Amino acid sequence: MSDDASLQSRVCQLVADQLRQPLEKVTAEAHLIDDLDADSLDIVDLTIAIEEEFSTDDHQLEIPEEDAAEIRTMQDLLDYLATAGVS
Amino acid sequence: MTASDRSADERVVITGIGPVTPIGTGVDAFWESLTQGRSGARRVPELIEAGLKVQIAADIPEFEPADYMETKSARRMARFAQLGVAAARLAVADAGLDLEAVEAERAAAVINTGGGGVTTIAQQSEVLNEKGPGRVSAMFVPMMAGNMASCQVSIELGLRGPALTSLAACAASVYAFIDSRRLLLDGEADIALAGGTESNVSALGISGLANMQALSRRNDDPEAASRPFDADRDGFVFGEGAVVCVIESLQSARARGARIYAEVLGGGRSADAYHITAPDPDGDGAARAMSAALRSARLNPDQIGYICAHGTSTPLNDAIETRAIRTVFGSHADALAVSSVKSMTGHLMGAAGALSGAATALALYHGVLPPTINLDTADPACDLDYVPNTARDSVIDAAIVNGFGFGGQNGVAVLARVDD
Repeated sequence: MSDDASLQSRVCQLVADQLRQPLEKVTAEAHLIDDLDADSLDIVDLTIAIEEEFSTDDHQLEIPEEDAAEIRTMQDLLDYLATAGVS
Repeated sequence: MTASDRSADERVVITGIGPVTPIGTGVDAFWESLTQGRSGARRVPELIEAGLKVQIAADIPEFEPADYMETKSARRMARFAQLGVAAARLAVADAGLDLEAVEAERAAAVINTGGGGVTTIAQQSEVLNEKGPGRVSAMFVPMMAGNMASCQVSIELGLRGPALTSLAACAASVYAFIDSRRLLLDGEADIALAGGTESNVSALGISGLANMQALSRRNDDPEAASRPFDADRDGFVFGEGAVVCVIESLQSARARGARIYAEVLGGGRSADAYHITAPDPDGDGAARAMSAALRSARLNPDQIGYICAHGTSTPLNDAIETRAIRTVFGSHADALAVSSVKSMTGHLMGAAGALSGAATALALYHGVLPPTINLDTADPACDLDYVPNTARDSVIDAAIVNGFGFGGQNGVAVLARVDD
């Protein structure tokens, strides 16, 4: 499994757990609100969970509110994490 | 004027009971435990691990929110709200009520509590201190707020009439009967889900109450720890749970052929204006609430046959409540049956009044009075008939339900038997 694929599966699993959705619905194309039934509160807590999951002792991941507001789909989220240097 | 002089749309009755309690979930299990004299107290692992002075409580380890709601909804609720939603669903089912057939705008939720989501506050304080402000959950406020049990019941069940919450400590859910009756008589709603919920059996909650010296320390014998009116009582056993009742007009109940447990005849309230935790030593506030309740119900003291006592098992409460009953009922006090179901359930605080009201409605309906268990040694300061240790067959016409809270808030509801 490539690093990208590994990252994607970790993120999808985390989103599925956090939003209480079946894993098969959490595709790259899935829209957090329209497809995964999230609301603004869910998205805030989802970003907190992602920060905790992907922070290491050397690198603390922080997703600023203005960045979180731009994340609408799973692909947005994966792209954001790749740009942020998460692997 | 007696109850029967009022027209059917001016009479308010209980047609459904939903208990989620330490002695049973659902009305059948709850009533069986009450009449068998079962205790719901146990040694609680979390309290033992924390090394607390008090390691016993009456909790509900088997409660599964997913049995009553979507797991996603459950995750957005503190446990007190989850328990409230579960109790509301059980009450609706017990009443045989088809919510689709009820006009949603005319359906109220009156779910009261003592503390709300205190455990959520404790958890998120830890997150704040350990991980920083950015990690505090966006769900924190809508989970911990005490009004959320009413709001979540309204959301989950689609009730669009008034949603009310009183935070009134141990009297809170006696208020739910009083306020629901008024909502119906004032024409503000046709049906109400009325009750209370509490869930704060945690190291934080227990420590605060233990340091107040309010709790029994009988750690080695939890089932004997709650012993209201007994000479060896040493405090209450903290409990969690929720009880919700379906309340509607007699007219509406008869029109849909519903089983009627009891009528809510009236209620009274008062404040001690004395101390933040101790009751007025003369029992003046408690006595005034009982008198106000009788006036509201238009009954004389000698028309009451049973008192579901506040009866917490603290040295002070039980003696003062006894004195207050003697003040209000005079010589009739010796003809009354008085019992404390807290001897079995522990003290559910914000849910205690609804639990007592449900127990009383069932007692009126079945003609059986629940006992006060663990009553082994008489206390000269507690000299009434407390239905010791064994349930008693007794057909009663009218009863009162007492709830006296920290802060000196007192609530008393009057319930009556309804003949078919």
